[in-house]
Amino acid sequence: MAAEKALALLRSRLCDVSFAHGAFKSSPDSNYSKLKFIISNSIAEGCNNSVLLLGPRGSGKIAVVELALRDLSAEYPDMICMIRLNGLLHSDDNCGLKEIARQLCLEHQLIFSKMASSDDNSQFMLDMLRECGLAHKTIIFLLDEFDLFIQGKQRLLYSLLDAMQTLSSQAVVIGVSCRLDADKLLEKRVRSRFSHRKLLFVPPTTEDLKVLLNHVLYLPENSPFPSNYVKEFNSRIKSILGDKKFNEALNSLSDVDGTFSNVLRFLYQAVSYMDLASGLLTLQNFKSALLCTQKQPKLDIVKDASVLELYILVCMNRLETKEQNSYNFNSILKEYNAIHEAYKTSDHYSRTVCLRAYEHLLERELICFVDGKGRHLSTECRPVKLLISFSELCQGLKSNSSCPAILQKLLDRESFK
Amino acid sequence: MGTEERTPASATKRTTRSAVLSPPPKSSNHPSISDGFLFSGDRVSLDTLLSGLPGRRSQVLETLQLIGPVSSPMLPILVYGGASTGKTATVLRIFRHLHRPFVYSSCRTCYCPRVLFDSVLNQLLLHRRSDENGYASAKKCDRASDFVNLLRDALVRAINLIRAGSKEKTRVGEGEMIYLVFDNLEAVRSWDKGASVISLLLRLHDLLRMPEVGLIYISSATPDAYYGSTGSIEPIPVHFPDYNVNEVFDILMLNQTNPKLYSTFLSAVLKPFCRITRRVDELWIALKALFKKYCEPLSDLNVVPDEGMKRRLFNGIQPHLAAALNEVFYVPSYASLEEREGVNSRRGTVRKLSGKEVISDLDFHMSVSAKYLLISAFLSSRNPATLDAALFDSTGGSDNRKRKRRSSQMSIEKKDVVAEDMLIKGPGSFPLERLLAIYQCITSVMEGEFDEEQQPEDGVAMDGGKIGLMSDVLLQLSTLCNANFIIRSGTCPLEGSTRFRSTIDEDLALKVSRSINFPLAKYICRR
Repeated sequence: MAAEKALALLRSRLCDVSFAHGAFKSSPDSNYSKLKFIISNSIAEGCNNSVLLLGPRGSGKIAVVELALRDLSAEYPDMICMIRLNGLLHSDDNCGLKEIARQLCLEHQLIFSKMASSDDNSQFMLDMLRECGLAHKTIIFLLDEFDLFIQGKQRLLYSLLDAMQTLSSQAVVIGVSCRLDADKLLEKRVRSRFSHRKLLFVPPTTEDLKVLLNHVLYLPENSPFPSNYVKEFNSRIKSILGDKKFNEALNSLSDVDGTFSNVLRFLYQAVSYMDLASGLLTLQNFKSALLCTQKQPKLDIVKDASVLELYILVCMNRLETKEQNSYNFNSILKEYNAIHEAYKTSDHYSRTVCLRAYEHLLERELICFVDGKGRHLSTECRPVKLLISFSELCQGLKSNSSCPAILQKLLDRESFK
Repeated sequence: MGTEERTPASATKRTTRSAVLSPPPKSSNHPSISDGFLFSGDRVSLDTLLSGLPGRRSQVLETLQLIGPVSSPMLPILVYGGASTGKTATVLRIFRHLHRPFVYSSCRTCYCPRVLFDSVLNQLLLHRRSDENGYASAKKCDRASDFVNLLRDALVRAINLIRAGSKEKTRVGEGEMIYLVFDNLEAVRSWDKGASVISLLLRLHDLLRMPEVGLIYISSATPDAYYGSTGSIEPIPVHFPDYNVNEVFDILMLNQTNPKLYSTFLSAVLKPFCRITRRVDELWIALKALFKKYCEPLSDLNVVPDEGMKRRLFNGIQPHLAAALNEVFYVPSYASLEEREGVNSRRGTVRKLSGKEVISDLDFHMSVSAKYLLISAFLSSRNPATLDAALFDSTGGSDNRKRKRRSSQMSIEKKDVVAEDMLIKGPGSFPLERLLAIYQCITSVMEGEFDEEQQPEDGVAMDGGKIGLMSDVLLQLSTLCNANFIIRSGTCPLEGSTRFRSTIDEDLALKVSRSINFPLAKYICRR
């Protein structure tokens, strides 16, 4: 029972990104502290502000904003109004203004009219900004995927930032983007109204990761769990974290993608694999989670391919090494028949069967048509290409248990050329 | 296990993918949570779940672990694997086992964003389109932004309903989570603006920020197919590999009436078939016919075979095996199926199996002028335009000695190059004028022949005469275009007229020509 509760606790911690970033709350030069300072400044002084949060995907930009706002709204109750926009959904100017109006209405218990025009909405936004400014209420605009707002005429950004030039308003615009050059893309009229504060998010260092792991994985001492279970669990975690193999695994993970979200996903997987009977995490859990992140889907597909499909792949590879500039199913079939003539293989099938196997390969996306559209040609005639490299094919053939020896031989001969 | 579970996995997957999901229609206007989000049947135990999905043990357990215990939040997961590896079946049966509320929508049946959004919202709002509401959806939404707002509202409502249900002890499902399952995610890529829809779906977890919502994506494309779309967050991948031979064996053995007999049959024939494909759905169809053949010598289908009988049965099936292997993907048309079911079923099957040359009849009906048009399209695609004059001179192509000499003069290398060229390029394209000219030539030749020989075989062609055959050629042409026998292949940059291309292969052309007694072989230019 305790094990299940511990699992549920760990999982809810890992699913909540803000929790993980709570580990860096106390440090004064963390992005959290900087952002909190900017916003609280705006709230306390009653001024306008704008800031850009830049960093790769999964580096916890939104999580930090959420965390800062959660703390600030506890600090200044009823003084913050939050408007969230996402570039994926609201990059269209009219749509963005409408969404702002909708959320403002929702926040202030007003009735939102769907029929309102873009002008009405923009006027409404200005009025609300003034009203809120007079009431010393700060409106925070959170623009996720900021770079997508820049793609059009930037009317939304302009009207938003222009409105903030007046003294009566009290608002903060937080732009979040994974494009580091997001501010360079702004139009001149928008850029001049934008305060050039930028917070850069970088992947965590090894020390940061350690802090994160300690923060997330240990069970709390004073908790409803039986104390000896907590002691055992925590001592096990300590031994795992100190293990050399675990650190190697962590390094190989962060070598590929060391962002917070990737590490958290890895931990989530490891925690999910926890054995409920013992209720303790093992090194094996982390190892299998790492294996899962290191999968090579293309190789797996070659490994699963049937013998006939392998023949077609090898034929295609032979055609490519012959430096034919383009080839299609007909030429593959010719090559296939030639192999059969030369080596008298047992796997000789009719054209229709080969065509279906060829279509399977297309479906599995190991091969694809060269031309994008090609609507005026039938499948047999459209030129194709391999989507796997020679070495991948070799490796795949070796791992495929049912691969006939002749194909290996043919491929080995190619590699000598 | 419910009654619909009796059929093997492959059959279940195809026939009941939607049927399993849609609860039996009820007359009441206010559906409750139980028939909205849950399977109507009883809860399935873990053992039944695992035994019902042979070869998927580790995948089932991994998925269960990632979905997690009751009321525990989860990160999005992506279940991926080739076609016919039991992805959908596994996920759906897992929910039957867990007995938790979920919403399933397939991006294949919901063919555009709007339909997909409607489907999710309708299910969440327990809205059923019916005669009374004019088959309207619960909410209208076209834009992704509206969808996210509506989805959030609907989810909050649904979660409140579930919570209320669990408080009042009238609980129908386990826990307070609701899961959204998106099947066939790979189909979205080919949609109009598919990339943005994919990034929307993959980012739903971030956009909603609701820990009570679990997201499961099912895709036959590998995770790296989704890397390109903007704003995508990687879900946790769960790989479903293809079944190996033993697993295919186990699946095909499910729910057999005479397992002993079927297992001897399978152990004799499955291995060679698996060299071609290991997809259960295809093997299932191919082996069905073969098993019928296998059982032919038996009078009692419930017999338990001994060694001697096994050998005898195997000898009986042996000659058919090679032919059957080449017919693995043969999809019989409705007409030929009927014929097969008919009185002389045995002879019909033998004819079908022993090679394509024997099949002389067309499986579909076509008017005589359409057949002529099809043949002339084939000829104009196949033959170079320069040879038209030689082929269709006043003597009607009967003089082919001259042609033969010409082709023998060609050097062998050049011949190879041309053949290679043809393999690569496929059928050539031709302008409408050439098609009509050839059409006129061959119809007039045929009429001439009919007149001379007085063959009353093809009455239509004779009675129709010239006018009948020419009258609606353009109409026939557009019909053939719609049926994909002929395709429009862009316009010629110089002339600006539409060019055409025939897609049929030589076998079909020969079949068509045989059905109207047209000597097609005389006209094909053999290079």
